[in-house]
Amino acid sequence: MKAMSTDIQIAICGSAGDGTIAAGEILRNVMAGLGYKVIAFDVYPPEIRGFGKCIARMRVTTEQAYSLKPQSDVLISLDDSHAIPHVGEVRDYGAVIYERGSIVQLAEGGHISAHVRPAQLPYAVPLRELSEKSTSSNRSRNIVALGFLAGLCGLQEDTFLNALSRKFKKKPEVAESAQSAFRAGYAESADTFKLDDVVFGPVPKAPVAAGSAVEMMNGNAAVVRGCLDAGIENYFGYPITPATSIMERLALEMPKRGARLLQTEDEIAAISATVGAGFAGARAATATSGPGFSLMTEMLGLGVIAEVPCVIFVSQRGGPSTGMPTKTEQSDLHIAVYGGHGDAQRIVIAPTNVEGCYRCAGKAFEMAERYQTPVVVLLDLYLSNRYETVVFPARPPFAPNQSKAPEKDQLGDAYRRYALTGDLISPRTVPGDKDGMYVATGLEHNELGRPNDQPQNHEAQSRKRHEKLKAALAHPDFTHYKRFGDEGAVDVGIIGWGSNFGECLEAMIKARAEGIRCAAMKVVMISPFPVAGVTGFMDQCREVLVPEVNYEGQFANVLQANVGRPVARLNRVPGAPMAVGDILEEVRRLAARARRGHEKAAA
Amino acid sequence: MGNPSRHHIVIGSGVAGSQAAATLREREPDSRISILTLSSLLFYNRYDLPKVFRGVRDWREFLVQPPEYYENNRIGVRRLNRVAAVDSARRVIVLDHKEEVAFDTLLVASGGRGYVPEELTDYRALMHPFSSYTEALRTANALPEGGHAILLGGDMIGLDLARTLIDTGHQVTLIADDHAFWPHEVEDAERAGFLAALDHMGMRVIDGRAAGGIAAVEAGAKGLSARRVALADGSEVRGDVVMPFFGLTPSVEFMLGSGVDIERGLLVTPGLRTTDEAIWAAGDVCQIWSDEVHRYRFFYGWKNVRAMGELAARNMTGADDPWVSVQDEHLRLTPEGAIHSPFWEYQ
Repeated sequence: MKAMSTDIQIAICGSAGDGTIAAGEILRNVMAGLGYKVIAFDVYPPEIRGFGKCIARMRVTTEQAYSLKPQSDVLISLDDSHAIPHVGEVRDYGAVIYERGSIVQLAEGGHISAHVRPAQLPYAVPLRELSEKSTSSNRSRNIVALGFLAGLCGLQEDTFLNALSRKFKKKPEVAESAQSAFRAGYAESADTFKLDDVVFGPVPKAPVAAGSAVEMMNGNAAVVRGCLDAGIENYFGYPITPATSIMERLALEMPKRGARLLQTEDEIAAISATVGAGFAGARAATATSGPGFSLMTEMLGLGVIAEVPCVIFVSQRGGPSTGMPTKTEQSDLHIAVYGGHGDAQRIVIAPTNVEGCYRCAGKAFEMAERYQTPVVVLLDLYLSNRYETVVFPARPPFAPNQSKAPEKDQLGDAYRRYALTGDLISPRTVPGDKDGMYVATGLEHNELGRPNDQPQNHEAQSRKRHEKLKAALAHPDFTHYKRFGDEGAVDVGIIGWGSNFGECLEAMIKARAEGIRCAAMKVVMISPFPVAGVTGFMDQCREVLVPEVNYEGQFANVLQANVGRPVARLNRVPGAPMAVGDILEEVRRLAARARRGHEKAAA
Repeated sequence: MGNPSRHHIVIGSGVAGSQAAATLREREPDSRISILTLSSLLFYNRYDLPKVFRGVRDWREFLVQPPEYYENNRIGVRRLNRVAAVDSARRVIVLDHKEEVAFDTLLVASGGRGYVPEELTDYRALMHPFSSYTEALRTANALPEGGHAILLGGDMIGLDLARTLIDTGHQVTLIADDHAFWPHEVEDAERAGFLAALDHMGMRVIDGRAAGGIAAVEAGAKGLSARRVALADGSEVRGDVVMPFFGLTPSVEFMLGSGVDIERGLLVTPGLRTTDEAIWAAGDVCQIWSDEVHRYRFFYGWKNVRAMGELAARNMTGADDPWVSVQDEHLRLTPEGAIHSPFWEYQ
């Protein structure tokens, strides 16, 4: 059986320590290496080992996909107790691959075979036995399962063996053992009667511009690449899920480039040092999550009033407080936009996919320098941990130093660091610049930087700090917002932001396939808000839907505050990405309402 | 209406087991019904398997009921589940993967598997059995167009397949032995006539020179036969596949130690109950007491097997009916000189 195109989703489910995520990583890298589009998302527990559930899901496609599917084509169980609740997520005639035996007595229903529905296809594989026979250990069950899957799908054995060799290149004995386990699983598949093949279509031959590179990476890795390509010089951070891997990766790369990274004692120290480095003229950043960002907001205010460029990556997770550290949510938008004291507007941007993480990371440094302000880049766990194939440009698309330097005659005693210029962006010096000395404090100041709490001055400086940011709405080579789908007037317009936009896009595509006139707009620049662009879009939509993975409708609140129009809201907090079906259902409901509106108008 | 907490388990998803599950559901809409089967497929009719040589290969086309049937009727089917033991005292089935499943009533309908005489067991790996969909497909893949199948023994399942093979342009050689025409009991005087009828059907029949060994022809010799069968007289026959058809042997190993009486199959009353009051048996796995011949005997054929499944289910749910064979068991020659078995009347 040959497939013309590919759209296969595979889920691997096990307990922490089973190698679930590792198996997923190998598989998605191989598929991406073959040229397929891959989108993947791993879910793991807060515990380190031996407790919680891990799931590695990946969707492998010929055409670009924007989210994971609600149903998988294949489920591999490395631990039935965790996988059983997910059997229902496998489509009809999809495959369930599981351990044939058990080393412990099981109560009734304790084996996954009791839960495989009649329409699903069971594959009972002696994973443990094959692992022990091939490697003298039961720890390679994940690789045996991978081998079985590869055989089931008719994928080339050598491709995986080479991938294992590359993965463990520094430990040849581990590579050899993993290859043995893979071969055992692959051979078992050859001996197994295949009910249905999970058939991959031909590898797509997507045109890639000369010099560009296609790579498989997650959002945090893309952020790191963006930081490095933008020339980050200093990073200060304190570990917190799901932002930690940004610091880990930067720690490996920055020293090679002469840049400095310091793990501070807490988040307050991290933001303080970041603001300090920005003040000193370095491209500086920190990364954290909601609880850490709460601690940072006081110093963020200093960055705003002192007009210091710096970048803060905030990867959201389920909250408030410790909340759900390993579950995704979009509930830190309010604090990112409004958090802190005083009138402290800052730039907030939110990428919607992994490639966007790269671009936003690099552009954030440009914007911070050009508009002399802290820039918050809002990520979330789903985006930080989501893997996609990304096409990187041949040359980094980020401009170097964007700081507005003073003219010679502006320096000296007359140097006005906070001068009220035409564009409200003042010439900026950094410590050490000749004749560019000034006082920077958290106190309100006059144009010279000297403390001044006179009403007219505070009015003028407050206006300056807010109005200068509007120029960011036209920041060059940056997608502030973008429309997809039907052009012109539509019945339903979906406005999405952050990681959830992929689901919005999939829902829009499905809605159009059902004949609903539908369009979707992603909003990347959240503060300052692109009022004109969003209003223009809303003008063409009879109904507007804003789906968000938070309870309060935080983006809808920001949108309504800026645009002054009501929108339909769809809010879910499952700790997981929003189901495309939920959005689609709401689109259908709104489309029906729009039709009734048309009919009423016609009557 | 049945008790929702009452759990009927059926071991086996063939004709008897599936019919029993359907009847159980009809009679007790509320009870819990589970089928345990070694198969990776839902119920298919093994009598349909020769269709693989007519180009029907997709397993979906062999299913008697679609998957929704089981969900709509709340009949649980656990596939690839091997029963390791039955603990009749605790009313528990122990599965090979160490899971215990409790039952209130149990029907053993695990059927029979192809019997292979002891002198040929060493050659199993070189044979192509034909008792499951998987095996049928493997055979079909191994037998080239117009290829040569060597049938050993010659039971009625094999002869049924032979009809299809000849009809689809294959060569068939039958190396007949005492199992020829099984489960029909053929008198010596009739045997020659029936064998001649097979010859008339287009089969090459070798009788009285039972196979003594099988060898694989050197691998990679394209265009050459893959198997060589040595005959008792020292001669040999070459073909593409060698298929054993020596009748069935009941699959009852897991019942050893259960406490129920076993001879070759499970011994059951005319009501199909074993010596344990909660355990019944139906199909090729059971020997039913016959007042007529005053011994336990097997009853074969699709019609009988289905009727046994239905009867067992009725009796498991309160009836007390005796077994009555519904199958003609006489082998005949047609006026055209062809052979005809009532066991082939399954369409």
